[in-house]
Parts: sequence; structure tokens; C-alpha cells
Amino acid sequence: MLYFSEIKGKEIRTEDGIKVGKLSDLIFLASDHPTITKVSIRTSENTHIIVPFQFVNKFNGEIALSKSYLTSELADNELYVVKNLLDKQIIDIQGNKIVRVNDIVLQDKPDLYIAGVDIGFLGVLRWLKIERLVFNVFLTLGVKLTSQFLSWGYIQPLELARGRVKLKKENEKLARIPPEDLADHLEKTNILNIKKILNLLDKKYAAEVVGNLNVNYQGALFRQLSPENAAKIITYVDPDEAVDILLTLSLKRRENILNFLPDEVKKRLNYLLKFSSTPIGKLITTEYMTVSPQNTASEVLTLIRKFTPDFSFLIYIYVVNQHLELVGVFSIHELLLQKNDAIVYKFMTQNVSIVHLKTPKEIAVKRMLKYKLTAVPVIDNSKKILGIITFDDVTEYLIDKI
Amino acid sequence: MNFIKGWKKRLLLFLAVLGPSTITTMAGNDGAGVTTYSLAGAHLGYTILLTLPFLTLLYAITQEMGSRIAVVTGKGLADLIRERFGIIVACGMFLLMSIANFGSILANVSALKTSSQILGLPSAPFIFFIILVAFLLVTNANYQTNQKVFMLGMIIYLSYVFSALLGKPHWGEAFTSLVVPSSNILTKDYIVTAIAVLGTTITPWGQFFVQSYMKDKNVPINNLRFAKFEAFFGASLSNFFTFFIIIATAATLFVNKVNVTTGEQAAMAIQPFAGKFAGVLFAVGLMNAALIGMIIISLSTAYVFSEFFGFEGTLDAPFSKSKLFYGIFLFNLTAAGLIVMLPSINLFKIVLYTQSLNAILLPVILFFLLKISNNKELMGTYTNNKWYNYVAGTSAVMIVLAAIAAVVTSILNI
Repeated sequence: MLYFSEIKGKEIRTEDGIKVGKLSDLIFLASDHPTITKVSIRTSENTHIIVPFQFVNKFNGEIALSKSYLTSELADNELYVVKNLLDKQIIDIQGNKIVRVNDIVLQDKPDLYIAGVDIGFLGVLRWLKIERLVFNVFLTLGVKLTSQFLSWGYIQPLELARGRVKLKKENEKLARIPPEDLADHLEKTNILNIKKILNLLDKKYAAEVVGNLNVNYQGALFRQLSPENAAKIITYVDPDEAVDILLTLSLKRRENILNFLPDEVKKRLNYLLKFSSTPIGKLITTEYMTVSPQNTASEVLTLIRKFTPDFSFLIYIYVVNQHLELVGVFSIHELLLQKNDAIVYKFMTQNVSIVHLKTPKEIAVKRMLKYKLTAVPVIDNSKKILGIITFDDVTEYLIDKI
Repeated sequence: MNFIKGWKKRLLLFLAVLGPSTITTMAGNDGAGVTTYSLAGAHLGYTILLTLPFLTLLYAITQEMGSRIAVVTGKGLADLIRERFGIIVACGMFLLMSIANFGSILANVSALKTSSQILGLPSAPFIFFIILVAFLLVTNANYQTNQKVFMLGMIIYLSYVFSALLGKPHWGEAFTSLVVPSSNILTKDYIVTAIAVLGTTITPWGQFFVQSYMKDKNVPINNLRFAKFEAFFGASLSNFFTFFIIIATAATLFVNKVNVTTGEQAAMAIQPFAGKFAGVLFAVGLMNAALIGMIIISLSTAYVFSEFFGFEGTLDAPFSKSKLFYGIFLFNLTAAGLIVMLPSINLFKIVLYTQSLNAILLPVILFFLLKISNNKELMGTYTNNKWYNYVAGTSAVMIVLAAIAAVVTSILNI
């Protein structure tokens, strides 16, 4: 992360050290993801040139252009950082003035983009180069100054061209509604509206809402969204729901969306998609955890803390041997009853209820009900776990039956 | 019939726009202004009146530019400086402005103190009572009510007209002095006094205030010509009173060669020549000027702060919404009130230095003003016409030279 105040006015040279000028402005896409596309440079002859960002080789520390750089012009959907954003008045949805944009926060991974704006007192001091000094003075007085950051997600990019930094206040209101309720509410409006509102929301929250939409809406929605946006939302949706959504789309569109996903997510979804033709396949999720029989109870707890923070469901821990064969299971409750140094194979249940991919859904449901299980593992012929079926997925299936 | 109707409509529209420039220009005759004018009259007599026509023109032009920018862009001068020139310039300007303004507020509160003493009022409780009333008025009343109260204060300036009449001035000499230069205009005394008169009339705070106050009023662009006319009206009105203030002392103190150095001395000294009533009128005028000055200048600092740093700051907002705006207003008044109460402080020095700071700031602000009002991107078809730029540009250069001369002479005390 870096601040615009740290790079403004920096000298720019080519790779082989020829001076080009000083950085005077950055140009970004006026969109939800404001990527920096061009840099504006004030040359020593006091003229301004615009160079596309792909010619910028180094940006951290010093700024260097590639030798054969070309100049360009401002495109229609682009805005200047200094001219259109910095120092501008921030107003909320009612038009009340709040504060001015004191500095710009840039994020350099994966590409250079504007993460948000600094609206705090420290942002002012940073330009005067006395940020650290004042910060330390206040610290010795026992007051810790914190910078105030306003995420890009709260800013309406379209208003920027009019010289106004307007906040999306209604966004906050929406975010307070539970995702399930918002999904119900959205189902009453048309698909274009759903799309518009989801674009306003934080992607993680949007994903929860999408997960709660009726399957027909999910399909319609993902046909509307750009593959890039769809991929963003898919990453946050529970894997088994993601598979359901992807299955409603055409093969071509599915491939398109998958291409935008991070490798890990893509691998997991492809894996689940493989099973989708079998009766159980569509219900499978890969959110489960395995441990080795030799682990102690305290080790298991550490592993849980480390690997499962974003799980939406965790009741059972499965035990697999070195050949990854399923050998046992225990519940979180059983684990909590153990002493810290208790060894897993001593307290696990060796007799595990399982289902196969070919097992009919009815049988799977009956088995879960009979043994009062909230989840059962699905294994292949060599006893390896493919995934698990959880009771909430089963319930959905049962409701459809009623 | 239609002719009258048309005029009636135009008059009503003008009255709807009337306010910002008139209040700002009249507030330019603040405590410090009145003191400077009366001392100028006492020292140089009618001859100093020669500066008034030019002063009126320059005052009208600068005020008109400010109002025009406000109506066209809907932004205050500080808003635009921050947006066009960046945060470093804004911080520097705010620092200098708040110091210079505070000096002017001090000068006004101190004038309030002395005039209340002349009128036999207990000064300390009186000052804090005034501050409290001013705060309640500004925070609780909306823009329209505030404006009406300020306009009411304007009427009290008439006391100077009566005070001048009581001194039985030599009208012929007064009017010819407006256009015919006298032999002393190239003396150091005359130049320094002329600069002081100019510096106390056209002020940095006045420039910021007229634009913010106009912006606050939300005048539609169709009524721009009325706002333009008001700038000229306000400048003429304010200098109309300046004329009488100068005459009041010129006809009495200058003619009888009485030497005075402060405003209250002037108020006391004219009594033997123009009668006790003239002295009282003079003191009432000074008190009123000080009162308007301290409120308007404190408001100007509050506007400047809110605009530079982007906080809500409008007279129409309730206290809860514009805490910083009203807080700064109150802080300036209270701090000035407390300092004036301290017996050991040399107010004269403080005021002198801050007035010099005002003189240094003024050309800088004229630069911003010209730069912004000539910017096509901001102003569209409403940019300055040529002769405007010539007058304002030449004046800026003249003010710089004069200000340098004034600062140098006052520091070296030649």
C-alpha cells in the first residue's frame, strides 16, 4: 500500500537513466475497480505527457519507464487523480459536506489501483511532511492518532466527473439487512435491479445474498453479470452452491467464469463439477477437515483455528491414515471433552457412516436421520473422501419433495 | 403602467439578492476601519478624500469578482483555492488568514471596549454579553434573519453623517478634494495613510467573506446582474460613510490642529468643536462598527476553515450539524475578548503586525481571485472582461509596492 502524497512530484527516468520529468498526476478508470491506467508526467520543458501504465516498469521506490515508451491521451471513462479526486469535497447522499479528500490510498497488488481515500488529519500532515513528527508528539501525550480511511466501495464513481465525491449512503442501509431477507426482497424486483444493487454491495455480502436467492434467479443473474464480476461473487459463495449456480449456465459461460477465478477455487469447483451428474454429486461440498490418527486433541484444536475460519459448517472432524483412507470420525463435542494430550485414535469412532456417489439421495437422507448425523462423508471405492453432504443441503432437497 | 411594473419587479429581484456585498463592504468600515479613517481625517484633513473614488472602484471590482465567482461556481474562495492549488497552499493560507483575522478581531473587540467606556458602560460584562448574543444569533437564526440583523446595523452608520454635519464642515473643500489632488500627496505621511485606508477597506477577510456569504445565499445565475450591481452599490454605500467619517474629524480636529492617535481620543476630541452629542454619535458609530466587524471577521475565519477542510459550514445549518463552524466562530470571539481584558498586553503592536500581515496577504488573494475569475473551465462565459483585469492587476501591483513601503516604514519606524 502507498499514499499518493509519497509519489507525487517524484522524478521519472527511463530504464537506462534518461530523465523524463516528474510525476504530476495519475489516471484511473472511473469504475468499481479504479485501476491506474496512465501516468501524467510534467517534463522539464514544462509540458505534460501521458504515458500508459504498461510502460511503467518500476513503481516502488523509484519510478522507471521502459525505453520505448509511447504517449497516449485521456480516454472517455478515465479521470485524473489530482484534477478529479484529490482535495475534492466529499458529500453524503443527502448532500451534506463531510470532509475533503486529503490523500489517495493506492494498492499495488494485483495491479495498481485506488483502494480508497484518506480523509483524516494525518492525511493533511502527510503533505506537509510532518505526519511522523505530529504523530510522535501526540503519542508522547498519550493520544494515538489513527488515519481515517474511506474505502472506494463507498464512493460513486459516476459523480466524480462532476467534481463531486459522493458517498453511497443507502449502501450502508442495505448492508444491515440480513442476506436472507435481502434475497427475498430482491426476488420481488427484476433481474436488472438485482444486478444494480449487488454491484453496490461488498462482494462478500453480495455472495451471501446470491447464495440465498432462488435457483432460477441465480441463473438469470449470472447470465447478466460480466464473467469477471460473476467470478468475484462465486469465490465467496459456498462451494456446493457455486456448483449449483454454475450448472444452470451454458458450458461456454461456465468456462468463461471459471477462467476468472483464482486457481485454488477453480480447482475445487472443477472437482465438484465432476460429480455433478451423480445423484449425490450436486449436494457435495468440500468444506470439511481431516486429521491424522496420531494427532493430539490440542493439535487438532490448533488445526481447526488455522484452517477453518471461513467454513460455514463444521461439526465433524474426519480421520484419515497416511493413504488418505477414511478411518474414523469424531464430533467437535467429543473433541472438547478430551484432555489436551489425548490421542485421536483413542477417542475417534471407527465405525463411520458413509455414502457413495452412486447412493440414491433417499438412502443418504434416511441414513443421516437414522444415525442422527448432521453430515455424512462421501467416499470413493478406495475409501478416499470426496466431500461431505450436510443436513442443510439435504433439507433443501426434502422441502422440494414436500 | 408596464414600465412601472417592470421597475417594480426589478427592484424586488434586487432586494432579494441584496445582502452579501452590502454587508461585507459595510463591515469593511469595521472598528479598525473607522479608527483609521478618523485618524486619516484628523492628520491630513480633506486631502485624503482624493483616495476615495479610486478606492470605491477597486472595492467594487474585487467584490464583484467574488460575488460572481460564488454565483457561477457555487463555491467559496477557500473551496476553490483548496481545489485548484492543493492542500499545501490551503494550509499556508489558513494559517496566515486565521492569524491576520484574529488580529482584526482583536482590534474590533478593543474598539468595542473603548467605545463602551466612552458611553459609560461596564466594558467586561458588556463584551461578554455581546459575544453571547452574537453566538446565539448566529447559531439559532437562519441566514435570512442573520442578514436582516446585519442590515439593521448598517442604519447605525448614519450616526457618522449626523456627527459630521454637527461639525459644520466646509463642503466646497470636501467635494473638490475628491477630484483635485493637493500638494501633499507625494509626502511619506500621505502615502502611508493612503495605504492604511486602502488596507483597512479592501481586506483578505472581506474577499473570503463576500464569496462564502454569497454562496450561502444560493443566488440563481439568472440574477447575476443584480449581484453585480450590488457589489457597486455596496462599495459606493460603504465609501459614502467613509466620506462622512473622514469629514467628521477633518472639519474639527484637522482644522483646529488637534493631534490624536486612537479612535476614542478622536471621539472625545471632537466634542469641544461639534458638541457633546456629536461625540456620542461618533462613539455609537464606533461601537456599532466594532460589533459588526468582530462578528463578520469571526464568521470569515469559520467559513475559511470549513471550506479549506471540507466541513459543513453554513448559517442555515443548526449547531449540531456545523459544530466546527460555529465552534471556530465562538473561539475567536471569546479568545479576543479575554485578551482584550488583559491589562499588560500591548494591543497596538499586535494590531499593527496583523494589519501588516493583511497587507501582505491582499495581493496574494487578488492573484487567486484573478486566476480563478479568468478560468474558463470554472467560469464558462462569465470570465472577467479586459479592463477589469487591468484595473485589478495594476491595483495588485500598486498594493504590493505600497504594502512593502508601509511594512518597511512601520517596522523601521521611520
